[in-house]
Amino acid sequence: MEGKVIVITSGKGGVGKTTATASIGAALALEDNRVVVMDMDIGLRNLDVVMGLENRIVFTVVDAVNGVCDIKQAAIKDRRIKDLFLIPASQSDNKDVLEAEGMIKLCGELRKQYDYIIIDCPAGIEKGFQNAVAAADEALVICTPEVSAVRDADRIIGLLYARSITPKLVLNRIVPQMVERGDMLSHDDVVEVLSIELIGLVPLDENVVVSTNTGVPAVLQKNSPAGEAFQRIAKRINGDVDLPIEVPKSGRGLWKKLARKIGMGRRGA
Amino acid sequence: MKFKFIEKFKERRKRKKNASGGIAKKRLQFAIIYDKLEVSDTMLQSLHQDILTVISKYFEIDRESLKIDIKPTEDLSSLVVNTHILRAKPSSAKKKKLAAQKASQKKQ
Repeated sequence: MEGKVIVITSGKGGVGKTTATASIGAALALEDNRVVVMDMDIGLRNLDVVMGLENRIVFTVVDAVNGVCDIKQAAIKDRRIKDLFLIPASQSDNKDVLEAEGMIKLCGELRKQYDYIIIDCPAGIEKGFQNAVAAADEALVICTPEVSAVRDADRIIGLLYARSITPKLVLNRIVPQMVERGDMLSHDDVVEVLSIELIGLVPLDENVVVSTNTGVPAVLQKNSPAGEAFQRIAKRINGDVDLPIEVPKSGRGLWKKLARKIGMGRRGA
Repeated sequence: MKFKFIEKFKERRKRKKNASGGIAKKRLQFAIIYDKLEVSDTMLQSLHQDILTVISKYFEIDRESLKIDIKPTEDLSSLVVNTHILRAKPSSAKKKKLAAQKASQKKQ
């Protein structure tokens, strides 16, 4: 069976695309899939450091597209997770160096070798975006509950529709206490404004910073609410479509408080 | 005896109503609609003027109260015009009749 190309995009920068790409890619590989994650942020690569593979780069996606190397040489194998590979972006080129045709051809080859090809899309709606979505079968839009991120997500969703892709939404960095207080857009608000299908809710989690500090994927960390949320998203992508979407809770409820007092509380569940 | 908890509850509800999340949602809904339609302020103003003129032909209206809104609905955006009507203006046929009556009354 041919693999699926999924692009992770957002419009706005800094909402967690790269973290989401690394986490979802790692989680899909943990579910026994052959996965390659590909950094399309040519000139500003970061997926390699987030995954802790920055020291092993020899060839890049630009080399693979231009035929300088073959795909096997460009794909770096992760040593901790079986069947997880990274094709890094080139740091010295800029986004004009690639064309959509080259990407479509490369993804056609990758489809034969992998179950999932997860593409980390650069911010913006220019050529980098166009190249990243050129070969995509599906798209995930990452958005935080902020006015600027939601507005940009709306624009991106429109552009994806124009390419006949129906994206799904990942709402990232939810602060349950603020939502409960009414000082943060709830996931219902965002879904209503964007009228889009939801695929996962990810709470703000300090573990993500630790994970990028160390280059260890968040899904490998124990007790990381964000890591667990990304794992559930990966399960939904992988076919478990009925897996319920958990809404992040503040853990300030009466029962949680009591449970914590007697030492039964689970952090951030 | 004062029911402190009731007051606290009321205060909390009030705070939630005015909380910034709701403001964010409203602002977003409008921003997104305007982004998509690419309506400019000057266009809206001239539309406002035109609608005023058209309605004034048929109704006496409170000119200050006329409001134009673009509202989000399920899959379309709708243009909503609201105004207070003071009274209907007599139609032109009626006007002629009235004028004719007046003229005949004068003759008599």
